[in-house]
Amino acid sequence: MEATTYIKRTHDGRITIKSGNKVERVMSGTLTVLTALTIMAFIFFDYTGLDLGEAFPATVYNLKTMFLEPTLSHFSWGEAFYQVGITLGLAFLATILGAVIAFFLALMAATNLSKEWVSKTIRIVVAFIRAVPTVLWVLIFAIAAGLGSEAAVLGMLFHSIAYLVKAFSESFEEVDQGILEALRATGANWWHIVTHAVLPSTFTYLLSWTFLRFEINFAVAVAMGAAAGAGGIGFELFMASGFYFDLREVGFITYMILVLAIVLEIMSTRLKNRYFPDSSAN
Amino acid sequence: MSLLTVEELGKTYNSGTKVLKNVSFKVEAGEFVSIIGPSGAGKSTLLRCINRMVEIDEGKVHFDHFDVGNLNKKDLRLLRTNIGMIFQHYNLVPRLSVIENVLHGRLGYKTTLQGVLGKFTELEKERAFFLLKKLGIEEHAYKRCDQLSGGQQQRVGIARSLIQEPKIILCDEPIASLDPNASKVIMDHLKSITLELNITCIVNLHQVEIARSYSDRIIGLKKGEVVFDGPSHRLTTDNIDIIYGTENRETRELITV
Ligand SMILES: Nc1ncnc2c1ncn2[C@@H]1O[C@H](COP(=O)(O)OP(=O)(O)OP(=O)(O)O)[C@@H](O)[C@H]1O
Ligand SMILES: [Mg+2]
Repeated sequence: MEATTYIKRTHDGRITIKSGNKVERVMSGTLTVLTALTIMAFIFFDYTGLDLGEAFPATVYNLKTMFLEPTLSHFSWGEAFYQVGITLGLAFLATILGAVIAFFLALMAATNLSKEWVSKTIRIVVAFIRAVPTVLWVLIFAIAAGLGSEAAVLGMLFHSIAYLVKAFSESFEEVDQGILEALRATGANWWHIVTHAVLPSTFTYLLSWTFLRFEINFAVAVAMGAAAGAGGIGFELFMASGFYFDLREVGFITYMILVLAIVLEIMSTRLKNRYFPDSSAN
Repeated sequence: MSLLTVEELGKTYNSGTKVLKNVSFKVEAGEFVSIIGPSGAGKSTLLRCINRMVEIDEGKVHFDHFDVGNLNKKDLRLLRTNIGMIFQHYNLVPRLSVIENVLHGRLGYKTTLQGVLGKFTELEKERAFFLLKKLGIEEHAYKRCDQLSGGQQQRVGIARSLIQEPKIILCDEPIASLDPNASKVIMDHLKSITLELNITCIVNLHQVEIARSYSDRIIGLKKGEVVFDGPSHRLTTDNIDIIYGTENRETRELITV
C-alpha cells in the first residue's frame, strides 16, 4: 500500500517549501503585472526632443551644483534657522495635540476598555480619516481656514489623531486581560485601571509611536510649506526651486532638512535607550 | 447569619451550556474552604459570581449584608473592596514596583481623582510595608514585579488582597504555576490568614491532597453541580471518583498525588 505523502514537489521532482497558497499566487501575479506595466510605460513614453547624450550630463551638472556647491543667496543663516524652527513647530504642535486627543479616543476605541459599539464607531471613523492622505485634509481645511499654517496644522492634526488612535488602541489591547480583571476585583474604577494598569504597561509604546509620528509630521510639514503655503523651510525650498531657480540654495536647504532628520532620528533612539532600556527586549 | 450564602445559583454563558446548576452552600467567617473538580467544572465561574466579575443568571448570592446580584455601581465597588482575589498568573502590573502593586488594593476606597493622582496615605504605605514584611518579601519592595519569582509574585498578590482589609479572599488556583516548595509557602500564608485574621478563604485547587490537608471543608464540583460538600476528613476515594469521574487506581493517583 502506498503511504499518503504530504511532500509537495515541483514538476521536475524537487521538493518545494512554498505552501503555494492563494495569497502567494496573488502576490506573485501582482508583481508580474506591475513589472510588465513598468516596462511598457518606458516603451510608450514620448521621447521626441529628448537627447540622452545631452540630458544625462546636464542632469549630472545640475545635481553637482545642487549638492557640491550649496550656498544661501536669498536669505541669511539666521533666517534659515528661523524657518526650520517654524517647520519643526508645525510638526510639534500637530504631534503633541494629536497624541493627547488620540490618547483619549484610543481608550474609547480599545475593545478591552470600552463598549463594543463605541469602539466600532471610532474605528470606522478613524479608518476613513486615515484613508485620505494628509495633504488632502490640509486642502480641505484650507477651504475654511484659508491656505496657511492653520490649515496645515489642522490637516496634520487630523491625520495624526487617526494614525495614533489606531496605534495606541492596539497597544492598549495588548494589556493582559488578567491585570484588568485583578484591578476590577479590588473595586478600582475605570479611570483607576487606566492610570494604574493600562498606562504603565503601554507608556513606552505610546512614546515610541508619538516619536515616529513626529518624524512623519516633520516630513509632511516640509511638504506642506510648499504645497499649502504653511511657511517654514518647505516654503523656502519651493521658492528657491520654483521661483528663483537657485539650485545652490535648493541644495543647501536639502542638506539642512537631511541633517535635521538625522538629528531627530538620533534623538529618538537616544531617548528610547536612555529611558526605556527594556523596550527593545519586550 | 452566615458570611456567604449561595442559593440555587445558576450560570449560563452566551454559548448556551449551563456552567453552574443549582449550586447552594453557606460559608462562615474564618472558614477555609477548598473547591475541587475537573477542568471546566465551573470552579472559576463560581468564584467570579461571588464578587460579580460575571453576572449572576439564576439564584442568589448573599455576602455580608450585600445581595450580590442586585447592586448598583457604587455598591458593587463597595462589595469588591470587601473581597480579595488571588489568581493563578498573579495578575500584577509587571512594569510597576512591588509596593505600587500592593497599594492597588486600596484603589477601591478612593475617589476617581485620588486614585488617578495616586494619593495614598502614609498609613496605607506603612500597612503595605508591614504586609510585605509579614510575607517575607519586604526587601523587594522597590523592585519591578517582573523581576520576582513566581512564588514571590504570588505573595505580592496576597499582600494586594490583604491591604483591602477584606472579609473573604477568593483564590483561583493560586499554586497551579508554582513548584511544591513555593506552593507550600503560599498555602501556609493563606492558612495563617484565616487563623490569625479570621478572614475566610475559598480556594480553587487541582491537588486533592493539598485541599485535604489545608482546608476545613471541601466542596466538590462536577459539570456545574455540587457533588460533595463536607469536612475534608470525610472526603473518601469514592467521593473523589464521583467528582473526577475516575474509575481506576492509576488516574486517581495522578490527581491525588
Ligand atoms: N467568559 C466565558 N465565556 C463563555 N464561556 C466560558 C467563559 N468562561 C468560562 N466558560 C466556560 O464555562 C465552563 C466552566 O469554566 P470555568 O473556567 O469556570 O471552569 P474551571 O472549573 O475553572 O476549569 P479549570 O479547572 O480548567 O480552570 C467551561 O466550559 C468554559 O468553556
Ligand atoms: Mg478555572
